[in-house]
Amino acid sequence: MATLELDSITKHFDDDGKTIVAVDDASIDIDDGEFLVLVGPSGCGKSTTLRMIAGLETITNGELRIGDRRVNEAKPRDRDIAMVFQSYALYPHMTVRENMSFGLEESTDLSNDEIAERVESATDTMGINDLLDRKPSELSGGQQQRVALGRAIVREPEVFLMDEPLSNLDAKLRAQMRTELQRLQEDLDTTTVYVTHDQTEAMTMGDRIAILNDGVLQQVATPLEAYHTPANQFVAGFIGEPSMNFFDVDLEGETVVGGGLDYPVSGDVRATLTTDSLVLGIRPQDIELVDAVESGRDVAVTVDVVEPMGDESNVYLSLPDTREGETFIANVDGRTPVEAGDDVVARIPEEAVHFFDRQTGEALRNREFEGDADVDLSL
Amino acid sequence: MTDTTDSTGTDWRRVGLYAVLVLLVVFYLLPLWTGLMTSIKIDALSTAPFLPPAPSGFTAIHWTRAAHALAGGLVNSLILAIPGTILSALLGSMAAYGLTTLEWRYQIPVLVLFIAGIFIPYQAVLIPVSKFWAVYLPLGQYGAAVGIPKWLGDLTGLIITHVAYGIPICTLLFRTYYKDFSDEMVEAARLDGATTHRIYRRIILPLSVPMFAVTLIYQFTQIWNDLLFALVIVGPGKGAPVTVPLAQLGASLSDVGFGIRMAGAFVAALPTIIVYVLFGDQFAEGVST
Amino acid sequence: MREKLATLARTLFRRRRARTDGGEATANPSGGFLSDQFVSSLPYWLPAFLIMGLAVYGAIFWNFLLSLTDFQQFGNPDYGHLDLGMYAKAFGDQVFLGALQNTFALLVSFTLCCLVVGLLIAILVDQKIRYENTFRTIYLLPMALSFVVTAQFWLWMYNKQNGVVNIILGAFGLGPYEWIGNPALVLGAVVFALIWQFSGYAMVVYLAGLRAIPTEQFEAARVDGATTLRMYWRVIIPQLKGATISASVVLMVFALKAFDFLYSLSGSYYPPKVGHPRDDDGPAGVQRRPPRVRGGDRHHAVRARARHHRTLSRLPIPGR
Repeated sequence: MATLELDSITKHFDDDGKTIVAVDDASIDIDDGEFLVLVGPSGCGKSTTLRMIAGLETITNGELRIGDRRVNEAKPRDRDIAMVFQSYALYPHMTVRENMSFGLEESTDLSNDEIAERVESATDTMGINDLLDRKPSELSGGQQQRVALGRAIVREPEVFLMDEPLSNLDAKLRAQMRTELQRLQEDLDTTTVYVTHDQTEAMTMGDRIAILNDGVLQQVATPLEAYHTPANQFVAGFIGEPSMNFFDVDLEGETVVGGGLDYPVSGDVRATLTTDSLVLGIRPQDIELVDAVESGRDVAVTVDVVEPMGDESNVYLSLPDTREGETFIANVDGRTPVEAGDDVVARIPEEAVHFFDRQTGEALRNREFEGDADVDLSL
Repeated sequence: MTDTTDSTGTDWRRVGLYAVLVLLVVFYLLPLWTGLMTSIKIDALSTAPFLPPAPSGFTAIHWTRAAHALAGGLVNSLILAIPGTILSALLGSMAAYGLTTLEWRYQIPVLVLFIAGIFIPYQAVLIPVSKFWAVYLPLGQYGAAVGIPKWLGDLTGLIITHVAYGIPICTLLFRTYYKDFSDEMVEAARLDGATTHRIYRRIILPLSVPMFAVTLIYQFTQIWNDLLFALVIVGPGKGAPVTVPLAQLGASLSDVGFGIRMAGAFVAALPTIIVYVLFGDQFAEGVST
Repeated sequence: MREKLATLARTLFRRRRARTDGGEATANPSGGFLSDQFVSSLPYWLPAFLIMGLAVYGAIFWNFLLSLTDFQQFGNPDYGHLDLGMYAKAFGDQVFLGALQNTFALLVSFTLCCLVVGLLIAILVDQKIRYENTFRTIYLLPMALSFVVTAQFWLWMYNKQNGVVNIILGAFGLGPYEWIGNPALVLGAVVFALIWQFSGYAMVVYLAGLRAIPTEQFEAARVDGATTLRMYWRVIIPQLKGATISASVVLMVFALKAFDFLYSLSGSYYPPKVGHPRDDDGPAGVQRRPPRVRGGDRHHAVRARARHHRTLSRLPIPGR
């Protein structure tokens, strides 16, 4: 068991003389036994970060510590880590048993009996006892996934590293494995860094999530904090499905105007706004469809498209006086009777509204949220 | 061999297709077939070259004579081709591992030097090679000095030459193969604590078996079939590989010699034909990479 | 060929992308642990590199050096006087120029014909035929044979009185021709025999190329209403560029190595007679001495090559 500290970690790649910054000055302290999810869009540097922790990439600047020990220069084998790869990276010519023993044979002095014992106990944990003598090519995707996990846990490392381990599974199996992985990590209580581009995985699995964009760490927070109090517009847009709606607005007196909106803002909120050039953000789940305009925060809109998903529907709404196709989304109960072409009223409650600085993207005002993980918010 | 009917009845396009394919079979086999028929006739001219002999005109004499004349050459060729093949495949595999799976900064220029070696016509290096073995490193004479027959020393020189010129193609074959290996698999092995050497021994080498089959077949055929280096480095005589006496076989007998020539051609080609028929599919897949 | 090599090299050495989640950075391995990789890679490639480098590059350099001397096979070359005299001599020599021309003609016609024949057969074999492996194996069989062996077969095929080629042509009222002895025919005859030996190789390469094209493309072209012929011409063949390049490179290498074939064809033209080393031999050192010379003299092949410069109506392989 160990803590894992990234202290101003930076990675430069050299591309024909040009320097490309893949990871810029990222600092994260990961607690012993914590499940940290590194999330971000393609090319954001999250895999590079993970590979630096693994020792597969060199660290250009900064310091990496596993349990207070500086490991920048340590070889992968000396870092006491195990990694699960996206492609599983099983050795195709070895049976499941051989795959799982390989690491113990190479990196420890355990006797054959001890190795066999550890392999058995790991396969018990993963429920793959009956696959021990098969080759990877004879296994289904889900089974290979379990073997890959088993190969990591049999090592009993200080830190687990996982690089999009579920992305090759079909949707149903992925959801199932997500829960199983979480339970496994809780049982083993091993520090884990998990890389994914899927914000649902990040939200559901992580103790904390670290959001990366363009090599820059945007925010490290619990999933709910990141959802409700994003540090900036990027995090606000990345976390949550469907994405938060954004309107470019300018503060004019007591209202913000722009993007077809003319929205009154109360004094408390105005006090937090340090600039006039703003972005107003509202999550689709916070928008209500009502019958009639009752205040300035209700806007008359036309229904553009309805995407029914059963329990809920995504309703694409367009404001009057805006360009064709410029819509925002409301997420409403699936039984709400709306159809394309309907004229409806969308209510945008002020307590759910976020404001961002349009230049820097920094969050100026977030929706009200008690930063307490116990709070049960029905999303 | 042909299947000219479809489930729906006769499909003339398919008939035409198979007819062409069978004609092609005739084209590719005709020289071999003609040779085979000629080799079992007492008089090569008794019937048309591609027809079997009349029962009374059958003989095995050409085959026994050819086998007798080429026996020494066959043994020499085996002594030459087997170690030569194994060594060049092994060196090629190791070089490809060091230049592909292990990554370092200037490996591409080094690889280019390797690959460019494939395109050297042997004629371009003939004089240096012959002079090197004759004057600077006469293994035959060294061997003779310590009691090893001279021809064996010369043959060793020929083996080394073939290994040297076989390395580029073997490296390329293994390189193409290793390039498709998953990086993550090698990384996983490294994280599992395996050293460079252990990764080669326990991961790469066992996974290379299919490519070894291809490379061994290819190199075996190449070395077995070579005449040029054999002439220059060993020459006719006691150590000569089978291609050298074969090129001369029956030459002095003009037309009458065709029987023994054809028989000799088959005797000399037999090992490669056997290897080829046994591993033809891997060979086909190997050359297409 | 250089351009093709460059393309080949580009495809072979396409640089590995760094893992930045699909980002654009190209990895140039550098620094601490990766230079460890360099050190640990040395035992794997360096021995092979030294052997190969000495044999290929050392020999080429030496050969070049020799070409600048007046070295004549006997005694030691005098490296004191390096000049291009031998090149001047070579390019002033009609025999050599003719040989160069013939080599070029053989290279081009052989490669092109092989590619065309190979492609056509590959398309036929690709029609979901039965016994595909058997057909493929038979078409590729000649490639497994030694040049010396195939030369024996073709000598007999091309025999003037009794050769199968003349018998077949005779059935159409043509011939008989003297294929090997006639300067006008020998180049074509050799190219034909080499095509027989190597078109199967081109076929296998093209077949792999055809298989790599997704079936959807064939279906899409058919849905678009293209006839089979136009489908191949406009959709499929353009995609076989890679296969064409790699096949032609290898075929050219084979063609350059066809010395054995020519030597064996010409093998029927002696009983050897002992001749005399001549002094005005020209660059290839043309001599008339039989190859059965024993002992320390190892230059028979050089002479042998030169011999069929003559006997084979100037159809040799480039020396250097």
